[in-house]
Amino acid sequence: MLNQLFGLEARRKRLLRKAPEGALKDFLSVPFPDKAGLIDSASILAVDFETTGLDPAREQILSVGFICLENNEILLSSAYHQVICAQGELKEENVVIHQITDSAKSRGASLEEVTSDLLAALAGKAMLVHFAHIEKNFLEQACKQLYGMAPVFPIIDTLVIAKKRLDKRGLPYDPSELRLSKLRDWHNLPHHYAHNALNDALATAELLMAEVELMSFEESPPLKYVLS
Amino acid sequence: MDAELKEIHDFIANTPPFNELPPATTEAITGKVTIRYLRGGVNLPPKNVSDRRLYLVRKGALSVFTADGKLLGKLGEGDICTVFCTQEDENEFIVKTEEDSLLYTIPFADLSAITQSFPAVNAFLIMSASQRLKQIVSSMSGEAIVTSTLMTTSIADMFNSPAITIESGSSIRDAAVKMTELGFSSLMIVDDENQLVGIITDKDIRRRCVAVELSTDTPVDQIMSTNLISIKRTANAFDALMLMSRKHVHHLPVLEDGNLLGMVSVTDLIRQEGQNAVHLTGIIHKVKSLEDVIEASKLIPQLHVKLAKLGTTAEHVGKSITAITTAITHRLIEFAEKKLGPAPVPYEWVAAGSQARQEQSSHSDQDNGLIISDEMKPEDDAWFEALAKYVNDGLADCGFIYCPGDVMAMNPKWRQTQSAWNGYFNTWVETPEPKALMYSSIFFDLNTVHGDHAFLKDIRANMLTKTRKNTLFLAHLTKNALKLRPPLGFFRDFVLVHDGKHDDTLDIKHNGIAPIVDLARIYALSEGITPVNTIERLKMAAGTPSLSKEGAANLIDAFEFLGALRIQHQARQIQDNKPPDNYIKPVNISRLEREHLKDAFKVIRTMQSNLQSLY
Repeated sequence: MLNQLFGLEARRKRLLRKAPEGALKDFLSVPFPDKAGLIDSASILAVDFETTGLDPAREQILSVGFICLENNEILLSSAYHQVICAQGELKEENVVIHQITDSAKSRGASLEEVTSDLLAALAGKAMLVHFAHIEKNFLEQACKQLYGMAPVFPIIDTLVIAKKRLDKRGLPYDPSELRLSKLRDWHNLPHHYAHNALNDALATAELLMAEVELMSFEESPPLKYVLS
Repeated sequence: MDAELKEIHDFIANTPPFNELPPATTEAITGKVTIRYLRGGVNLPPKNVSDRRLYLVRKGALSVFTADGKLLGKLGEGDICTVFCTQEDENEFIVKTEEDSLLYTIPFADLSAITQSFPAVNAFLIMSASQRLKQIVSSMSGEAIVTSTLMTTSIADMFNSPAITIESGSSIRDAAVKMTELGFSSLMIVDDENQLVGIITDKDIRRRCVAVELSTDTPVDQIMSTNLISIKRTANAFDALMLMSRKHVHHLPVLEDGNLLGMVSVTDLIRQEGQNAVHLTGIIHKVKSLEDVIEASKLIPQLHVKLAKLGTTAEHVGKSITAITTAITHRLIEFAEKKLGPAPVPYEWVAAGSQARQEQSSHSDQDNGLIISDEMKPEDDAWFEALAKYVNDGLADCGFIYCPGDVMAMNPKWRQTQSAWNGYFNTWVETPEPKALMYSSIFFDLNTVHGDHAFLKDIRANMLTKTRKNTLFLAHLTKNALKLRPPLGFFRDFVLVHDGKHDDTLDIKHNGIAPIVDLARIYALSEGITPVNTIERLKMAAGTPSLSKEGAANLIDAFEFLGALRIQHQARQIQDNKPPDNYIKPVNISRLEREHLKDAFKVIRTMQSNLQSLY
């Protein structure tokens, strides 16, 4: 609702006035990408978090991965992956999924360092996530904790894009079809090693390129067409 | 580089030529990768890419066309596209996505900088097909030189010098004493001007003197052989072996500009290369029965495996096996003559096809015929028929399967007088109908195995004067030869053939080796070149109007590479107790070999279309 009333760009400017000096303010001081611009020439940052659970109020971010998608190509030189030295011991079921052990975690960076790296990379870009709910909520929570306020981000969610496409067919489908690996299989994209933040971010970026190629646009769709 | 990008790194590190690089370098390359997703039917490079780049297919497929739209090849997962690395190639080819494709691209400037201390990799990306082929073949023959000696040993390095001689007119006793003193089994006889006039061996003294109670005071001239077969100083050991096998002699005088320098014996050759072709031909010459010849022939596959393991060149293997076949044929003819009595009129036993070209593999079938003197009377044919039957059956027992096309001396059609053969060639050249062209490709590669009456030599001279001027015949022969086209390359685990269709296996003989043999034959016929060995033909045709020097060098490289691949393939089959064949499955060809094969195919295609435009 608020999005529609004020627009992201207006809210960014409003938040910028209140933001404390530092990473968050630097992030907010760069204008968001033009919504009318084409995806072909847009700057997008594919992001993925591995977390200890789903509730940002109680759970923590374990690792952050991101990679740049510029002018329609993924730049491996921009790849970033960092384990966070979160508090408390890890639950065994998490270790099994993420392969991040307590000792790896203890060698990790602080939440502040990683959040600041992410915000710096994200400035002026749209944030690409598969199922944005987790990353959005956890990043807002981290910012609140570190800077006392949560920013706004333009978000592209490949799950939403795929869901729109499937809904349009008017045929029933199993919700599991919307999982990242299932969608990649459907697009004939190669198998990827899942549950690693960087690999998932990269996998999401490839999925976006494949989804965009399916859209019937003469050139490439404008950014607003894929923004959530 | 992040460990997280391991899958991409491993993919790149497994792709030739990067598979030869250390991990630190492939990691640096991975860091420069950008990933593209292109929908099917789109041209490369993608819009907004203006720099030179290498493309790697991660998923999907690319098709490469000539500027005028002819399909050149398809690239599947794991294949690299070097078209956009250099300026020249870019305008020569059109590259399209065949289906939706995920591509890894690497800026060529970055790639060059990272691989600058690995010139082979850099060269791989910018060299032409023929340049790459030259590089691999020269490295292959480099290995072969280390391991094989006979092909590369010059007679100059191994003959016994000075020549052990005795003057014409000396007694047999004097000769025997000299031989005993010096420990030689043969002696050359020279006149006052030191010109070679004859040769005597232990055997001559035994058979022509002692056994017939000839006085040892008799001049050696009476028992010496005057039918002198010599070899030039510049020949290699293998040439000597071939000559000895064919003439069935064990000693060869070595000459230079007509002057006698020394002597080379079969023992010298055996010393050069131990347990090998020489040894085996030596055994065959000595055995006393057909059964023993058959037994000795069973060693051929083992010899093949051994030579393949040594990394011997295809040329050497072909010559080794041919030397043995020649020895076997020779021995069989001797047995037959013993059984049937002397031939009623002179004749030549000729080999056709791969035996004539000295390019046999252990899988070869037999192609042969008889050229009989024109003095032959109709009733004489019974003798020749019996000879042909004995030798053809004997060869089959030795593993040289009967020619499926019935091109064998036991077929009366190929057991003819010299005039009849001349007539055949005249008809084939003058009326090039399909069957004539088929026979042309078999019988234009002929070599005498036994009998030396210059029959074949005269026939060939007559034939070459006719073919040389007959452009219509050459045009027909060319058209016929161009029916065998090499495939375009590989696509996934298939062989990609001409019309974009796929084959499951590569027939390396018909789709690689035979087209080069055919090309070499046509060059030879149009230039009046006598030898039938493919490499010799190409070397002699190099620099003539039919074939450029560069084209010849490229074809020789391609021929050597394909031959080596076939030998390795057949050696593996022999070791697995499977009958050797020419069918190679793409899954069994390494990625690098596929690249080299594609280069060889490209060379052949280029030369085929050059020839096509000539006629």
